[in-house]
Amino acid sequence: MSDQAPTGFETWLVAAGSAAGEHEWLDRQRRHAAEQVRELGVPNTKHESWRYTSLKRLLETGFSRVDETRVDDLVPAGIDAYLVPGLDSHRIVMVNGHYSPRLSALGELPPGVRIGALREFLTSDPDALRERLNAVIGPQQPLFSALNTAGSDDGLVVLLERGAILERPIELIHLAVGMEVPRVAQPRHLIALAEGAQAALIERYISLNPELYCTNSVLELALGRDATLYHDRIQMESPQAFHITGLYLDQAANSHYQGVNIGLGGAWARTDIIARFSGEHAQCRLQGLYLAGDQQLMDYHLDVEHAVPNCTSQENFKGILYGKGRAVFDGRVLVARNAQRTDAAMSNKNLMLSEHAEVDTKPQLEIHADDVKCSHGTTVGQIDAEMLFYLRSRGLSASLARRMLCLGFAGEIIESIHHEAVREVVAEQVGARLESAPLD
Amino acid sequence: MLSVNGLKAKVGETEILKGLDLEVKPGEIHAIMGPNGSGKSTFSHVLSGRDGYEVTGGSVLFEGQDLLDMEPEERAQAGVFLAFQYPVELPGVNNTYFLKAALNSIRKARGESELDAVTFMRLIKEKLKILHLDDSLLKRAVNSGFSGGEKKRNEIFQMALLEPKLAILDETDSGLDIDALRVVADGVNALRSPERSMIVVTHYQRLLDYIEPDHVHVLAKGRIIRSGGKELALELEEKGYGWVLEQEQAA
Amino acid sequence: MTSTQAVDEIVRSEYEHGFVTEIESDTLPPGLDEGVVRAISARKGEPEFMTEWRLKAYRHWLTMPTPHWAAVHYPPIDYQAISYFSAPKRPEDAPKSLDEIDPALLETYEKLGIPIEEQKALAGIAVDAVFDSVSVATTFRESLAEAGVIFCAISEAVHDHPELIQKYLGSVVPHTDNYYAGLNAAVFSDGTFVYVPEGVRCPMELSTYFRINARNTGQFERTLIIAERGSYVSYLEGCTAPQRDENQLHAAVVELIAMDDAEIKYSTVQNWYPGDERGRGGIYNFVTKRGDCRGARSKISWTQVETGSAITWKYPSCILRGDDSVGEFYSVAVTKGRQQADTGTKMIHLGRNTRSTIVSKGISAGEGQQTYRGLVRISQRAAGARNHTQCDSLLIGDRCSANTIPYIEVKHPSANLEHEATTSKISEDQLFYCRSRGLTAEDAVSMIVNGFCKEVFNELPMEFAVEAQKLLSISLEGAVG
Repeated sequence: MSDQAPTGFETWLVAAGSAAGEHEWLDRQRRHAAEQVRELGVPNTKHESWRYTSLKRLLETGFSRVDETRVDDLVPAGIDAYLVPGLDSHRIVMVNGHYSPRLSALGELPPGVRIGALREFLTSDPDALRERLNAVIGPQQPLFSALNTAGSDDGLVVLLERGAILERPIELIHLAVGMEVPRVAQPRHLIALAEGAQAALIERYISLNPELYCTNSVLELALGRDATLYHDRIQMESPQAFHITGLYLDQAANSHYQGVNIGLGGAWARTDIIARFSGEHAQCRLQGLYLAGDQQLMDYHLDVEHAVPNCTSQENFKGILYGKGRAVFDGRVLVARNAQRTDAAMSNKNLMLSEHAEVDTKPQLEIHADDVKCSHGTTVGQIDAEMLFYLRSRGLSASLARRMLCLGFAGEIIESIHHEAVREVVAEQVGARLESAPLD
Repeated sequence: MLSVNGLKAKVGETEILKGLDLEVKPGEIHAIMGPNGSGKSTFSHVLSGRDGYEVTGGSVLFEGQDLLDMEPEERAQAGVFLAFQYPVELPGVNNTYFLKAALNSIRKARGESELDAVTFMRLIKEKLKILHLDDSLLKRAVNSGFSGGEKKRNEIFQMALLEPKLAILDETDSGLDIDALRVVADGVNALRSPERSMIVVTHYQRLLDYIEPDHVHVLAKGRIIRSGGKELALELEEKGYGWVLEQEQAA
Repeated sequence: MTSTQAVDEIVRSEYEHGFVTEIESDTLPPGLDEGVVRAISARKGEPEFMTEWRLKAYRHWLTMPTPHWAAVHYPPIDYQAISYFSAPKRPEDAPKSLDEIDPALLETYEKLGIPIEEQKALAGIAVDAVFDSVSVATTFRESLAEAGVIFCAISEAVHDHPELIQKYLGSVVPHTDNYYAGLNAAVFSDGTFVYVPEGVRCPMELSTYFRINARNTGQFERTLIIAERGSYVSYLEGCTAPQRDENQLHAAVVELIAMDDAEIKYSTVQNWYPGDERGRGGIYNFVTKRGDCRGARSKISWTQVETGSAITWKYPSCILRGDDSVGEFYSVAVTKGRQQADTGTKMIHLGRNTRSTIVSKGISAGEGQQTYRGLVRISQRAAGARNHTQCDSLLIGDRCSANTIPYIEVKHPSANLEHEATTSKISEDQLFYCRSRGLTAEDAVSMIVNGFCKEVFNELPMEFAVEAQKLLSISLEGAVG
């Protein structure tokens, strides 16, 4: 087995597009990642980070790769129906992992800002990527990130020079369009903000049809000194789809990151967020909201490393479970020796609304310094009977009252979405999901 | 409008209401007074349909309908309103959204059309003024982070908006300073009408200085042991509950 | 004194109870095979069923890998270098009363500040003192017998109550459970057996003092407590050990069984030798403790104060099988020097309306490493289950570590579960405040730490709580200076 990829992943390892040999450094990274995949093998539930997740269904589905030449023809009707009303953005659209210039609308970019597709950059300015690609994630990569590194399609590249400030948000729309057979898309994104740069990124994963496919995405985010990034991620994949995200974040001194992860779609949606502070006085706020309905598994793994002193992190994830919905929250905050005056607060709250829902949560603290303020809190509970009664005594039906309380529970996270237009779309989507959910 | 006959209710194994009778006609204000533990709150909770109380006997008819057979929202839709003693906080639930949903549920039940946004906002602002409440309330979550006085005012504000036929004010005066009490009472008085009845449940006579009742009842040990006009409240204030209780025992 | 100095002192404070009692031991040579298992069984004159039980466990143990998941680090243990049996000479002549006990042993207890006589007189505690592996003294048996309570060495119970042993031994912790439980089942030396009949409230707190004494001797205690329907028993366990150079393995198993409406309260104060400043010579404490709330409305409550051992690996757990049953875990654990502790609990909710409470207070000083590892599982039929967990860590000094690893698995929508964890340190402000009110820094730290642990101490029986507080102060002495 040592010279072969694990069963089911062979197609994932084939890098799309340009033939090998174009860039020696890139080939080396890809070969290394492929080797890693072979070494890692397929994890089972004995692996701690796969304790509550089985890959059986994923492996049983054979995924083929996307034929990139067809990508532009897949969305003949355009994407107007999927735009956020009132959102003025630098828009880049990817279809099944591949850049679609026709659907994108980058608009005019201020000086010091470069936004484009990964493969265009590899042709036009490979040196800009050479030091950056795989820099945040590092050479040791977990299985799905290594698969992406070895066989990524295309992706978004955002490079902001020192002091560059982008007023309008960057919007990345990833569309999944059905094909004859289940296929896997492996988008690979790189966002690097140099010292003092500021930007906002909105990432949206959308499917045109309720089909079976897999999206295996990796994001590398590098925030320089004093840089600020607002990052809203809205995952609305098809209810049959597999969605995998590896989000790698590195924050230099005084940088500020605020990420909101909304998970609504996918049969199995796994998000790994690996955040690391490399400079002091940086702040990181990770928030999440997940709705897990029938047969859905929302699977979150957070690993926040306070490697240096004086940084602040906040991890706040909330989930609503109904039907046979399942959620996993595996959060870890590591405070390294000498990372004094760390302030970290992790919270995971779950509302369980049905007989067959399940939550497995594991909020961990690993602390090797004494002058720290660290806490975590977890709750699993139901809709509060007092609150429900209050609403009903004002004339609201039990089901409307329940929905309202669920929205109230979710509200804290929805309100922290950076862009109001996006906030409204999400509130609407969450409301619609709850509307169709059997909450009684 | 409301007719309570021999109402018995228990909490767990303890019988709290032991045969309570009360007749409320349209436009009347009834004050129910009594010492702590007499069953005042149980009575208002049973009327509003709260869980945890078992009705073991008697009946409650509201405009001829069996109130006890109705869900809490059906009672609200029929025109029964409870101003809570301790309004629960609903973090994250937007007040405007909540008020609109409540008002439209009730209008729908009455066979009226839903209000459009403009009319609704105009109505809301008008009602806010009655209770000297600020617009900012509309952006906040329901009762969330409200002071004690704000919560009580918010209850009366909701009552003004929902325009019930029967309002039950459960210890609305508790925890209010004199200024807040006056604002709340003014709000309540502004809502008095020949069609609207109220049951004012209170421990102290104080509130009745501002909301003048037509009838005063003394509730003790789960039954109404004495009824009279507003002068009964003053007498109680003067002589204390011990006085009626003694008289009851003597009788 | 600054807190840094204080920390240095705590780290250096020597083990108070480190001394060796010289008593001749009848010890098996080191090594383990089927012959040794048979020899242990034979020396204890066990019936055939026990020998078979041990052999079955031994054979299964051979197939088990050593666990590596705990956050503790130690060199591999050579199980062939351990002697698996050590009894005082002439076991057939074991003393029947305190008068017959070796004066050296009594003296040992004196040095520990827990004189048996005084304890008995003052607190009315029946003491089943285990010296190394065999029970050498049992007191108060008569008044217990009157109540119908059986309180004896488990080796005696094997002879006198084989039907109870056959029915219950290994029924909560089977030999297949984990590596150390398997080893224990094969070679367990002795321990305590308690049986409280239906409706009986045990008339006194039951207490056992364990000590590890003979050189290179593993101690494999086995405790079994059965509380029949409607009964109540409170059991106290306390441990200290003499200073040694070699690491000593301790792999105990404790099984508790509570029937309908029964309650078992199990309290531990553990102060085994933690090793010297460089961590040499301390005890390895790999314990499996589990309570089975078999009956409806039963209750099992674990309270522990852990200050000793080089390595602690211990998760006193509750299986909440009976409807409306209650499980509790209250723990104070102190790690200093090079001590490592991976401890916590498991609350397995199976019955309806089951409730559990977890309060864990971890104190790390010096280079101490501590992990709280807990599991709360609400199974699919555990309607109305409730859990509240509070895990707090206090760090003293910048070279220690505190980890919190809670697993929470909920499969029933009516579950209500709250988990909170905090990490803090004793701040200079707190210290200064106390000192400006006239307290010494040592008293101030002691006071703050005791306050931090109060919720747990409140759960201990009174006389034990006093001892535990004293132990905590001694443990943090100087550090807390």
